[in-house]
Amino acid sequence: MAKLLETKNLVTNFYTYEGSVKALDNVSISIDHGETFGLVGESGCGKSVTVRSVMRIIQSPGVIEGGEVLYCDDAEHPEQCEDLLIKSEEAMRELRGDRISMIFQEPNAALNPVLTIGEQVAESYMFHRQRSMSRQILADVESGKISFGIFSPLLKWAYRRASENPRAPALRLMSKLPLLKLWGRPMRREAVNRSVGIIERLGISNAAELVTRYPHNLSGGMKQRIVIAIALACNPTLLIADEATSNLDVTIQAQILELLQDLKERRAISSVLLITHDLGVVAETCDRVGVMYAGILCEVADVKTLFNNPVHPYTRALLNSVPRFCVEGELATIEGSVPNLVHPPAGCRFHPRCKAASDICKQEKPKLVDLGNGHSVACHHIDEKIGE
Amino acid sequence: MTAYIIRRLLFLIFVLFGVSVLIFGLLMTFSPERRAAVYVTTPQQAKDIPKLVKQYGLNDPVPIQYARWVKEVASGNLGWSLVAARPVAKAFWSYFPTTLELNLLASPLVIIVGIWLGTLAGVHRDTWIDHGTRIGAIVGWSLPTFLFALVLLMIFYGYYGLFPPGIISSDTSLWVINNPDKFTRYTGMYTIDGILNGHLWVTWDALNHLVLPVLTQVIVVVALLMRVMRSGMLEELSRDYVITAKAKGADAHTINIKHARKNALIPVITVAGQLVALSMEGSIAVEVVFSRQGMGWWLAHSATQLDMPVLMSVCMFIGVVFVLSNLIIDIMYAYIDPRIQLQ
Amino acid sequence: MEATLPTKKEHPRWRELKFTLYRIFRNPSAILGFSLLLFFLGVAVAAPHLAPPKFEHAPYQMPHKGYSPTPKPPSAANIFGTSSGQYDIYYGIVWGARTAFKIGLFVVGFAGIIGISLGVIAGYFGGWFDELLMRFVDIVWSIPLLVLAMTIVVAFGRGLENIMLALALVEWRWYVRVIRSEVIKLRGQEFVEAAKLMGVSDIKIIFRHILPNSIYPVLIMASMDMGSMVISASFMSFVGLGAPKGYADWGQMVALARNYIVGPPDDPLKFWYTIFFPGISIILFVLAWNLIGDALRDAFDPKLRRR
Repeated sequence: MAKLLETKNLVTNFYTYEGSVKALDNVSISIDHGETFGLVGESGCGKSVTVRSVMRIIQSPGVIEGGEVLYCDDAEHPEQCEDLLIKSEEAMRELRGDRISMIFQEPNAALNPVLTIGEQVAESYMFHRQRSMSRQILADVESGKISFGIFSPLLKWAYRRASENPRAPALRLMSKLPLLKLWGRPMRREAVNRSVGIIERLGISNAAELVTRYPHNLSGGMKQRIVIAIALACNPTLLIADEATSNLDVTIQAQILELLQDLKERRAISSVLLITHDLGVVAETCDRVGVMYAGILCEVADVKTLFNNPVHPYTRALLNSVPRFCVEGELATIEGSVPNLVHPPAGCRFHPRCKAASDICKQEKPKLVDLGNGHSVACHHIDEKIGE
Repeated sequence: MTAYIIRRLLFLIFVLFGVSVLIFGLLMTFSPERRAAVYVTTPQQAKDIPKLVKQYGLNDPVPIQYARWVKEVASGNLGWSLVAARPVAKAFWSYFPTTLELNLLASPLVIIVGIWLGTLAGVHRDTWIDHGTRIGAIVGWSLPTFLFALVLLMIFYGYYGLFPPGIISSDTSLWVINNPDKFTRYTGMYTIDGILNGHLWVTWDALNHLVLPVLTQVIVVVALLMRVMRSGMLEELSRDYVITAKAKGADAHTINIKHARKNALIPVITVAGQLVALSMEGSIAVEVVFSRQGMGWWLAHSATQLDMPVLMSVCMFIGVVFVLSNLIIDIMYAYIDPRIQLQ
Repeated sequence: MEATLPTKKEHPRWRELKFTLYRIFRNPSAILGFSLLLFFLGVAVAAPHLAPPKFEHAPYQMPHKGYSPTPKPPSAANIFGTSSGQYDIYYGIVWGARTAFKIGLFVVGFAGIIGISLGVIAGYFGGWFDELLMRFVDIVWSIPLLVLAMTIVVAFGRGLENIMLALALVEWRWYVRVIRSEVIKLRGQEFVEAAKLMGVSDIKIIFRHILPNSIYPVLIMASMDMGSMVISASFMSFVGLGAPKGYADWGQMVALARNYIVGPPDDPLKFWYTIFFPGISIILFVLAWNLIGDALRDAFDPKLRRR
């Protein structure tokens, strides 16, 4: 399979009063076209920071310090990759929400409370689909489907310009002038129409009425669907789901995961990057899994290998701490607590909590070693662990 | 909504009753003889004070006096104003337009400038724009209105001979008085009357006298609005929906204006009542320093003459204006924040 | 566990205080504010040495030589010049600093104590007392500070003491509202509920849990109020409700300058010193408190912290 996204040695720090928080330390993951990749780890381990660094939407005081984020949109031409970290902000804006989009953890906070649902979903189209919407309006006017009366010539001219270049200076000027700025209205209406369409496709029946409402009128599950609709509006190549289901009821959680699966099967999206701390969700939906701990990537493997033959001590401990129906006795926990990332432990960041830690773990950072079949592990004691 | 407004109007009656009791209580701290002095207009009458006390029942129990006073007020008799040498009710209509004119010009400026600068500072956090506006806000907040007005008067009028104090120049005022057929005082505000009568030079003259008062009023009131707007923007820009918008591909302008500013306006509305109060206080100082015969000027001069009837009426009036403006603010609140339902 | 912060062993409140102080003193405006305040404090404390009073029993009475209404420019005898009525401006500035502190401390202290105690009781216990108090506050609230204070001064009679009293009698409403809403927020929180369930007395809960957690907004407000109360008092002095002519009060000194802000046509700014010295004193004094208040707000604001 061809590569879609690859991060190489991503480093992100947050500069706070206590000192710089080393949130990401050389994180390298890669996702193929058509793949569902799971990123797991406890809260605060850097999963969200990783994907936000990929999209370059890290909030101040966070700074991406180094590394590469290679993005290869075209599966046929894997050599045409671009480094997202060196792209201009404007080019990134065109990519965000169009090629790569993101679903957020907290649907209550992710939606703007004072804008209607319709406005918020329509924004995706207004940012990325002005050309195609203009063409459609133009076609509708010419075929007589809609009419603007005496304003037809002016609007036809405007939409012809917009279908060539929506950011043309003349149009921008028009948008600032009173009355003339109404030229954009049909386009906004079209964007809302398309929003109704995408919301309906997510299995919501009363979409036309829904778009006039505000987020506080909606239930949590409904809000999460809206957040998904925003992300899916432009058929992105890569969908990042940042704990998309963590705060929802189990039944709604299942519905949403099914929905994602279904969208992938229908080719509405190509790849999914699923961030979660729920290993059950990973086992059910992902093709490959990466395990993170305290800002480092510990282990990457396909989902079967990871659950059957985990190598990294942290992965093993994590899997052991999942409650199981058929096993009796006390639940295994990981001793100690997550380290403070202002002063991360020297060497392997997991060593203070690792039962197998030796002297070398305290001094040297382990490198990610490829064990074949796409299984890589960052641990000094790989040899002893394999086949245990 | 209607039920809400009716409830608020009932609240207004309650507040007015409370204010009247409060102010009447203050008036009762005066001895009957001192209160009788209000009715004295000539020195010869001074020896009649005991008679006046009896005549007006100033020694009666307080509730009876209060009831009598309310009856008087209800029939439109608010007493006599020493400063205006006219009945209070009549004087009110000659002073009120002047104050209204000042605030009609200053308030839109305060709102526009305050929201604009506050947004700018919040968006450009920790840059020189932010520091500049913050320092400006603190200094503006620290300027006593009357002092700032005096300094402006000293520089512009004293040194450059521009923007004279008063409401209008004496020539214009004389012309207006002598030509009642050509100039009708529809509103009592020279700027608007000038336009309505087609004499734009009157408007121009009045505006000339309004430059410094409006400037003072804006500088002093805008600081609060700016500060609230800035901290509102800072808070909103750190919210999750901003990241959602960013992930959608929104540009900085859309994020700042469409997303964050609309939310940041909500805390601004909660201080709107404070802004109204601040404008009222500002008007007092501005009118005193620039010798504009408005409500503030009247209030301050009545206070120095210990003219209690005027103070009582003005307090009642301001109570009405304040409660009504709070009602409008609440309605605006519900309009801006869809989560609020008035009931 | 060597991977923890070295400061973790300290008491959390102490650590928090240290952080707050760090935040305050990292802020240049706080440093400027405190320096200005220290300067005025020094002037006020050292007033008898900086400007020895002529009459020991009335140190606030500004000395004047002659009665000429025309101000005289700064000279060796009167380094800031003299105002209308030949009052020594320098003397007035020095003793005026004491007046300003007196006004601010009295008004804020009085309003703060009334407001905090009523607000805590109303917010913590609720019930009919809360209802009654808040309706009363609603009534007082509908009249702006200056208007109501002026009315009270008229009722009580002119004078600086009555101005201070009037301002305090109006300003407490702010403290009630702010502290009450803080207390109501805290009252519903788990740690207060837990303390109640454990049988801790109400008095103890108020002093141990409620007050320490709700006092910050009050501190910020008090700091800003020190300045704005001096402004309001000086305005009332300016219009003639305050101290008699010749009393060392900055607002009253501005009033003395009022007729001289515009000099003769050939030299319009001739009498600049009559308004400049008292004016700048008021502005800097108020600025000092506002800078401190602003720094406190930045330091205490949980949303802006940790940056």
